[in-house]
Parts: sequence; C-alpha cells; structure tokens
Amino acid sequence: MTAPELPTEPSAAHTIGEYQHGYEEESRLRGFRSGCGFVTATWGLRCPRCGQLDLEEFALSGKGHVVAFTVQTVPADEFVNDAPYAYVLVELEEGGRISGWMPAIRAVTDLAIGDRVRWVPSYKPGVQFEKDGAGAGR
Amino acid sequence: MPREAWVLGAASNRFGKMKETGREAASRVALEAIQMAGLEPKDIGYTFVANAFGLAERQAHVGPLINTALGIPEVPSCTIESACSSSSAALHEAFVHVAGGFHDAALVVGVEKLSHLDTLTATSYFAIGADYPFESHNGATFPGLYATIANAHMRRYGTPPEQLGSVAVKNHANAALNPHAHFQKPITMDTYLNSPVIASPLRLYDCCPFSDGAAALVVVAAEKFPNPRTVPLVIRASTRAGSIADMHDRPELTGLPASQRAAEAAFRQAKVDRSQVDFMEVHDCFTIAELVALEDMGFYPRGEAGRATADGLTARDGKLPVNPSGGLKAKGHPVSATGASQVVEIFEQFNGMAGRRQVPKANVALAHNVGATGSSASVHIFGRR
Repeated sequence: MTAPELPTEPSAAHTIGEYQHGYEEESRLRGFRSGCGFVTATWGLRCPRCGQLDLEEFALSGKGHVVAFTVQTVPADEFVNDAPYAYVLVELEEGGRISGWMPAIRAVTDLAIGDRVRWVPSYKPGVQFEKDGAGAGR
Repeated sequence: MPREAWVLGAASNRFGKMKETGREAASRVALEAIQMAGLEPKDIGYTFVANAFGLAERQAHVGPLINTALGIPEVPSCTIESACSSSSAALHEAFVHVAGGFHDAALVVGVEKLSHLDTLTATSYFAIGADYPFESHNGATFPGLYATIANAHMRRYGTPPEQLGSVAVKNHANAALNPHAHFQKPITMDTYLNSPVIASPLRLYDCCPFSDGAAALVVVAAEKFPNPRTVPLVIRASTRAGSIADMHDRPELTGLPASQRAAEAAFRQAKVDRSQVDFMEVHDCFTIAELVALEDMGFYPRGEAGRATADGLTARDGKLPVNPSGGLKAKGHPVSATGASQVVEIFEQFNGMAGRRQVPKANVALAHNVGATGSSASVHIFGRR
C-alpha cells in the first residue's frame, strides 16, 4: 500500500529564527507580500487576510512612519536596562506594519504619531528604530 | 437542536494573594459551586480546567488533581488555554458538551497563582501570551500593547485621560463592595491622575493587578435538572472569535475585531437586542480596554464610550451598568480565573447575592472576555428561565 499523494504545501521560505538572525546578524529585514496587497513582516505560511499561499518575500527598506507608540517605564524582560524606551508600531514605506522599539525615545514629547523612523541594525534584541528625516534628533 | 444549558452553580474565592496552591483553591471553589448547584461531584461528567500559567507553580495537568480531590478521579478532564480568556473558553467547551448532549453536567474551573513570582518574572509570563518573537521581543509588555491602543484612540477620538480615569474610579468603587475583589478601596480622580505612568498614556491605575484567584461554574442540561435550587443562568449565547494575532498587522488599532465578531455572533445566537442587556461584565485589563469593548460590541459609537462612562451611564446605578464586580481592573485579574469569575458575578446578581453592589435589574446579562490583545475573544449572553 502506498501513501496517498498529498497536495504540495511548501514550507515558509524561512524560520522565525532565520528571520531574526537576518535583522540581528545580517542587516536584512524581510517583508512578505500577498496577491491581495497585504504586506507583513510577521512569519506565516499563508496570507492572514486572503489565505494566499506563496507569499512574495522582499527586502524591506526599514523606513516608515509611526502609527502608534508608547513610552514604557516598566520594561519587557529582555530590556531591563533600557527603560524608559518607546515601543512603536510603524507603517512601512512598502505598506504593511511592523513593531519595534526606540531606545532614544525616553519621554512622550520625544516622538509623535506620524514621525518618520528608520530601522537600525543593533546588537540588542528586537527590531530597533530611530528617528529619520527632518524630525530626527528632536 | 442543542439542549438548553444552564449555569446552576458558581463560586469564587477572594482574588489577591493566595496562600494555598492553585490546585487547592481550584478544588475548593469547584466543590462550593457544585454544592451551590445542589449537585454531588459524582454528577459531573467532564471537568474543563483553565490554568494558563500552571507551570509557574511547577504543575501542569491539574484537572485530574482537582477531580481526585473532589472524589471523582474517574471523570475525564482537560486544560483549556486561551490566555486571559482561558476560562470563558472552558465555559464555551462545557456549553458545547452539555448542549450537544455529550454530558448532563460539566464543571468549569479557572485558576491562577503568580504572586510568588517577582514582578519581572510575572510580567514575562504575561508577555508569552502575545506574539513573543514579533511583539514581546521588540520590547512590548502587555501594558505597552494596550497603551498603543490608547494612544491611537486618543489620537483619533480625542479621548482625554480623565475618561480613562473614570473607568478606574467607577470600577474601584464597585470592587469596594465586592468581597471577592483584590482591591476593596475606592480611588479618586486625583489619585488616578497622580499615579505613575507605566506605559504612556497608561498610568498605574489604568492597569489591572497581578492577582491570584480561582472561580468555578457548574453547567447542566436544563432538561435533566428540572427543579433548580438556584436561579440558573440560561446560556442564551456562547460564542468565540479570533483575529490576526499581531496588533501591528491589524488594519485598525482602535478596536478588537475578535470582540466585534464574537458579539455579533452572540446577539444573533441569543436573539437578543443590545437594548435588552441589563448589565455586563467586560474585559477591562486596562481602562482603555473597557471603552474599546463597549464600542466594539456596539453599545456606544466609536469614541463615545469614554464620555458615557464619565457621565455615569455605566455606573452601578447608571443606564447600563458595566463591571459591577469591579472588573479585572479592581476585582483583579487572575488570568485563567477571570472569565469564570465574570460569570460568578452575573450569577450572584441574578440570585440577589450581590449585596450593596446589586444592580437594579438582572434579567439579561453579557460577559465579554479577551485573550491577549484580542486575538481571542468570548461573549456569553445569559437570561432567565
């Protein structure tokens, strides 16, 4: 008796570990685009909006603008020596959103929704951003 | 056709810091709920346990331990995990089993104990309920995640801090009358506004506490228990929904799609209109969560729940009381006990057991419970026979 032939379901192009290694060690931040236009930087096998298989992988510029943020005085466990810092939700230039943190933002007056930010490779954990363009250094 | 299912017994301990272990507390409230229902443990056909962070006590698979303590070791059990909505998910499973005819009576037990951990470790346990590599590893804490919702809500609707504060003041006032509550002391708006910022714009008094606690429910088939000794909660709707797990991948930040879906499904299932709901227990892990819940479920237009709260419409004696128990915010939030404890409050209100926090009318009530930042949500609607 032979095993039934299963429909082909390719695995994701990478693992979560490889994705993290990409931005932490290889200066490579990756995004995924679905046929419906959904863009994400979060690991998955199919598009969470339309279910499409075969998401197109591409290199993200890491540039975008802040759509929401908070300055945390009580840090996450991997960031105990970094508080206060901003946790940010960023709308990317390529579309889609990503989350990250900004160690230089230590007060709510240091950042505003709409501010332009860019990803900066770092030896510290997580996707790290800094201010970009005219508002940088405020 | 599903059978009518009731919550026939409900019990909770006092939330806060438990001296005993989770399994002890769970067993005690389970027995209390069974006795309140007028049943014996042997009447239970299945035990559904919620205990998301049992490993913090070096204990998993707690269902058989509870059943053994109750003298019913032969009864099957399982643990249901859905972060902060674990015990409402367990209630849903009990409802499905009972309404579907697989068992005539089921036990739901939610329990959590984290107070023996330091704050950083406890915070880390909570963080694993989010998407760890794509949210927590990027610096998010749970207050931080909800703070981004508050930030977006304030930006879009101009929600002032005082409207968040009105949620905290109301829920602390309610909890002060609740013997099950972690915090039993009212606070003032000044206390709220002067409390330290945890994750801007959220202050200390925007945040629910880490609480230990246990709560239990007995769900039965109405046709098998025709002469209840309590006022049973008729389960008119038991719905759950999900949404994209990561907040940053959702198109809208000022609402939780899973709450919207679960509520719509619940109102359809119950054949109940929003105007018929007398009071509700909603998921207020942070003050902004209560406002968003009221807007997600369609009780208030977007951006208007804060004003309604500040105007007293959601107070115990208001037009539509919300969280008469004190909510997660002040009654406390022992993660896996929370959903069941919301139903304990509704049970006590229906049975006239709520003392000075008794709401004026208790014929139809709603319980809304969220897992993580809304990647899971449960809505239950209860009525009278």
